[in-house]
Amino acid sequence: MKRVGYMLLYVCLIVVAVFQVFPVLWLFLFSLKNNQEIFSKSPFSLPSEFRWENYLKVWDSGIGSYFWNSVWITGVAIVFTVLLASMAAFAITRMQWKGSKLVLGLFMVGLMIPIHSSIIPLFNMFLNVNMIDNPWSIVITYTAYNLPITLMILLGFYYTLPREIEEAAIMDGCSVHRIFFKIIFPMTIPVISTTVIINMIYNWNEFVFVNTFISSDEYKTLTVGIQNFIGQYMTDWGAIGATLIISMLPILLAFLFFSNKVVEGISSSAVKG
Amino acid sequence: MNRVMSNKWIIGMYILPAFLLISIFIFIPLLLSGYYGLMDWDGIGAMKYIGMENYFNAIQDGLFWQSAFHSFMLALFSAVSLIVYLAISLVLASKIKGSNLLRKIYLIPMLLSSVAIAQLWIKVFNPSNGILNSILVSLGVDNPPAWLAEPAVVLYAIFIPILWQYAGFYILIYYAALKNIPESIVEAARIDGATPFQIAFKIKLPLIMGVVKVTIVLAVVGSLKYFDLIYVMTGGGPNGASEVMASYMYKLAFSSNDFGYGSAIGFLLLIITLIVTVVVRKVTASKEELQY
Amino acid sequence: MSKKKAVTIFFAIFSSLLLISGCSGSDGVSGSGEKTIEFMHLWPEGSSKQHNEIVKEIVADFEADNPDVKVKLEVLSNEQYKDKIKVLSTSNELPDVGMTWAAGYLEPYVDGKKFAPLDDLLEGDLKDSFVSGIPEAYEIEGSTYGLPLELNMATVFYNKKIFEENGLEAPKTYEEFQDAVETLAKNGVAPIALGNKDRWTGSLWYMYFADRIGGGDVLTNAINRSSSFTDPALVSAAEEVQNLVDKDAFVKGFNGLSDEEAKSMFMNEQAAMYLIATWDLPNYTTNEDVPQEFRDSVGYFPFPTVDGKGETNSYVGGPGVGLFVAEDSDVKEEAKDFTAFFVKEWGEKSVTEAGVIPATKVDAASLDLPDMYVDVLDDLNNASNITLFADVQMNADVAQTHLDMIQSLFGKEVTPEEFAEKHEEALSK
Repeated sequence: MKRVGYMLLYVCLIVVAVFQVFPVLWLFLFSLKNNQEIFSKSPFSLPSEFRWENYLKVWDSGIGSYFWNSVWITGVAIVFTVLLASMAAFAITRMQWKGSKLVLGLFMVGLMIPIHSSIIPLFNMFLNVNMIDNPWSIVITYTAYNLPITLMILLGFYYTLPREIEEAAIMDGCSVHRIFFKIIFPMTIPVISTTVIINMIYNWNEFVFVNTFISSDEYKTLTVGIQNFIGQYMTDWGAIGATLIISMLPILLAFLFFSNKVVEGISSSAVKG
Repeated sequence: MNRVMSNKWIIGMYILPAFLLISIFIFIPLLLSGYYGLMDWDGIGAMKYIGMENYFNAIQDGLFWQSAFHSFMLALFSAVSLIVYLAISLVLASKIKGSNLLRKIYLIPMLLSSVAIAQLWIKVFNPSNGILNSILVSLGVDNPPAWLAEPAVVLYAIFIPILWQYAGFYILIYYAALKNIPESIVEAARIDGATPFQIAFKIKLPLIMGVVKVTIVLAVVGSLKYFDLIYVMTGGGPNGASEVMASYMYKLAFSSNDFGYGSAIGFLLLIITLIVTVVVRKVTASKEELQY
Repeated sequence: MSKKKAVTIFFAIFSSLLLISGCSGSDGVSGSGEKTIEFMHLWPEGSSKQHNEIVKEIVADFEADNPDVKVKLEVLSNEQYKDKIKVLSTSNELPDVGMTWAAGYLEPYVDGKKFAPLDDLLEGDLKDSFVSGIPEAYEIEGSTYGLPLELNMATVFYNKKIFEENGLEAPKTYEEFQDAVETLAKNGVAPIALGNKDRWTGSLWYMYFADRIGGGDVLTNAINRSSSFTDPALVSAAEEVQNLVDKDAFVKGFNGLSDEEAKSMFMNEQAAMYLIATWDLPNYTTNEDVPQEFRDSVGYFPFPTVDGKGETNSYVGGPGVGLFVAEDSDVKEEAKDFTAFFVKEWGEKSVTEAGVIPATKVDAASLDLPDMYVDVLDDLNNASNITLFADVQMNADVAQTHLDMIQSLFGKEVTPEEFAEKHEEALSK
């Protein structure tokens, strides 16, 4: 009986897994087709010929510099976001002060702003400090707009950390910085990996801010590379597929790396627990 | 302890960088958009102050409330589907064989950008040669609906890719939360003879309740301001049948050149979201008190 | 690293970040006396290769002729372009030269004094170089604010092979057209590809009915308020649309399909007819990515007369994008020179290199063009009337109402009478 239950469970799990893998396979096939095949044939049919030239086209369009910009902008923004959000989460959950509830509430309000409400005021602000067409405007925007959600995810975990940890540390004469950087921060590696993955996906795929704040080609990111193939009357979908595949690879690798961290951290904290 | 952990300078040092960032880059734009809502402004020429007129108009605007209703439905569906994600995460986090690989596979679609997801689902929903209708026809359904063209079904059809898009996000969070539970607690329960179900519902679930509550807020807030796939896949159509608050706002501000009114809608969206969030927090808090 | 140091370094980085006030900001005139014209266009290299190349060539030629002027290009895709122009205009940061659409799109920018009048160019450098009547679409209160680049007209493209297989010929009257639709539908062929998610596509059909039933100016008059939208001709045009829908003339689920999907159905021979403007000509003539066999099987016919009414040489169409010069540009004179230069060179290069029909006069005889181009150019020369696309004529707000109503009309969620009333309501606001 129990066996049958497990079998059923596995069948369900594998069916879902197949569903989840198909989109990537689809995208790969998509990237090797031309518009004709993309629109007329079944999405999972093989292309009549493998059009690797789509990749060549994408490569020739100067995707290299976009790629590098995506990498560093995403990376720097993640470091800022995760560090600042961790510090804020620490202050809100572990330290005692009036107004922590209010500040937390304000962070939550920060979740709620629709991007199209903020884009014009933000543009104006950056214009006033001469930061339009400056990649740091993007880094700062990403950091600020991902802070609320990152903080919210961290909070749930910070609440579960036992108080005894700091109590013991303070008894030992640890400073607050030491508690945060040497004890608490390392303990939250699993959830930090989680937020890194989420931030990474958001930053990597974002294009509204980049398109609005950046006008020079040298600062544009990968998502702009996709726009390159969308025309007034014609869109080159095969090339878009190739761009999507190329741009997916690095985050897939980073994802697998951090995804392992989600588990790794646990084994070490399980020892402590 | 108290003295160390309530040092004002240190608190400031930890909270201020993040707080300043969101104050400058989120709250100022937010207040400005509320302010633009007081203007008659096409976003091009001169602004004219008209007081609360845009806000009054919005409150009487049937299309706005229709789009708000659609956003609410999305929030409801998103919140309910959290149960499914939670169940999947409980299975993945238990020590069944292959869970590590399965977990990674489950999260992969999350890496796809909205552009890709939209294209994929447009092809799933295509009325004549889409995947879904091909399956339905082969199952003997005579005249399967044109999913994105029929006002009665389009809204729910488009929810599917949206929920699917975010599944990975929540599974990832739940998984990390579940893995954060000290092994010793689960082990102790197992020794006491608890079944896997009991461990999941009586031990693990209560322990990650804080995280679950956070995800409810995230799901509700994220749904109420949702924009991406709706805009790409249906543009809010046909004739507003899949319009949500954010797409309505975008249309007004960017397509209809009514930037003042669009900003007012954007600001109302925020107020509505705020109210809903407070209600959700209240409801989930009281539930917790009842349970424990 | 000690934790104190880490914290200090971190704060140093962070605060300097906040204080960075960029080092850019070299607009217009720079130290050496060299001037820079910012030019924003919407033809990315990836999707509009030929257009993009021509722009580069023209810019290079211009820079060669004017050594002290540089042209800085920014390229965005269509949607992104529109959004960005909007944001830029709120901050008075429009590029020196950019692209605009006619009439309703242009109006607020002219009202807000963002675009410079270009009458001097039309009377000087570019005198008589445009197809007559075309720059008027960019005219507001006697001044012209944009110089059109493209000229388009909508015609019905059809698949000759499918028509032959079903024993049909290109229809001349609406009865023949209806017969064709019925025959095709009966034989299990989707008669018409229509992607009405984009809505302007359905508008073309409605506009043609209005034109044939009520004459070339009935719609224009209703929009410019010299008559009412409740005109019987405009209502019966809406009825005709719904009659066609009832005959299953359009592909299944058309209200949820994009124009691109519809186009691909036509191009994959899954539908027999497709009403689209002449910007699509390259797909049926020169585009090597489309199988030769298909290109050879495509023909076109003008929208037929309806109940004997209307003239087949009256078209829906008009100029596409045009160039504007920003009113507060630091380099306005140079920008104007560039615009005039651009329009002239564009007229020469665009037909042969990109397959575009420019808004400037084309000497078809001197060029080696595909037959279909020659025919289309002929038709354009003999056109009795070209009615500008309705959503372009209207201001942005009314255009949204119109487009939404088009979708509802095709989806049979409104009656023709309601359709007309909603328009009247929006127009008289």
